[in-house]
Amino acid sequence: MSNESRFRALVLPHLDAAYNLARWLARDPHDAEDVVQDACVRALKYLDAVRGADAKPWFLTIVRRAFYDWYRSNRSPEIVHDDGVAIDSAVDESAIDPAQAAESRANSDALEDAVGNLPLVYREVLLLREMEELSYKEIAHIVDIPIGTVMSRLARARALLQRSPLLRAIVAERAGGRP
Amino acid sequence: MNCHEAAPLISAFADGEIDRVQSRDIKTHLQGCPDCGKKHQDILDLRSRLRAEVPYFPAPPALRARVADLPRTTPTRSADRVEGGRWRWLLSGAFAGCAATVLAWIVGTSVLTWRASEDFVAQAVQAHVRAALNNHLIEVASSDQHTVKPWLSARLDYSPPVPDLSSDGFTLTGGRLEYLAGRPVATLVYRYRDHTIDVFVRPESSGAPPSAPRTVRGFNAAHATGSGMTWLAVSDLNPEALAGFVGRIARGPDP
Repeated sequence: MSNESRFRALVLPHLDAAYNLARWLARDPHDAEDVVQDACVRALKYLDAVRGADAKPWFLTIVRRAFYDWYRSNRSPEIVHDDGVAIDSAVDESAIDPAQAAESRANSDALEDAVGNLPLVYREVLLLREMEELSYKEIAHIVDIPIGTVMSRLARARALLQRSPLLRAIVAERAGGRP
Repeated sequence: MNCHEAAPLISAFADGEIDRVQSRDIKTHLQGCPDCGKKHQDILDLRSRLRAEVPYFPAPPALRARVADLPRTTPTRSADRVEGGRWRWLLSGAFAGCAATVLAWIVGTSVLTWRASEDFVAQAVQAHVRAALNNHLIEVASSDQHTVKPWLSARLDYSPPVPDLSSDGFTLTGGRLEYLAGRPVATLVYRYRDHTIDVFVRPESSGAPPSAPRTVRGFNAAHATGSGMTWLAVSDLNPEALAGFVGRIARGPDP
């Protein structure tokens, strides 16, 4: 099979998943396009290394790496490796701009913002699980962590979302709005 | 199963990532424990809210079009594609290494060959001077080529021709062995008027390419190739005469 037909068969079907992941990681449409384009160029080089059944996790692995390479050269790197306690501050009440929270409530896209504000290490596993519905094994492969870590990060990502001030504000509002 | 055991597994249970035996235990616990049951339900609620409220961004059509063209617009190394990216890197690295080695070898050997030819002339001049100073020009004294030639052949792994050029005014006076560039070299000694001429004779294959006539420490050196040998004449004879002589000697006996 030629390079082009392999690319069509293995990469292009997963372009939406690639863009969605990049879009949620980079949180900017143009940056996401750059990341996906870079990932496609990389994928072209390694087309021989993949079998059809593994194409999606394989391609998303490349997208994720392309994102982190882009991220390291464009953003401050502190939060990339931060997998510990300090991450709580990222979703701490004080870390959320009240005006932004109010606006979010008004637009009722609080959950969207809460997902976007999740630290990267939790955001990526949550996206791969809830949006791409990948198995823990596939996520472990993509993120290059043990399955046990996938499990704990997912549990934590969900807890962070449920504890998110934005969500709690919404829940409180809804509760307050009820008769 | 109690709450302490169940709590860390609820999230994975909601994802269907718990094996069948443990799943049954968790299910039983969730049914009997309102707290854990609520935690499980919260995860399911969160999931349905995520799917309902959080947008999924499909690839923009422009990106899709641009990317679909990549196989045609990106220069790929399809000609030397090898199974597995890892191997390709390894091979290209190995290839670069080989290329560098070959290049280094070519440059190195040409420099060494050039140096060797330079060195050989310098060594020959030194040998000529040393022999003259020590009055040790001749180990086998004979004007008879049939005496000199077997004497040299017996001491070397090659048999140098010993031409008779007395008709041109060059008289053979003898021969000796010199040790030059790491191997013994036949040295013929001729006399032309008051000049002593050393002729260093080596098989043609012995590497050093002929160099132009030159002067080293007042002595002239001239090179020629012929009769399967390379000939280097060193003398205080003038360069033109020496070059003519070495060309003549290399050409061999006239038919």
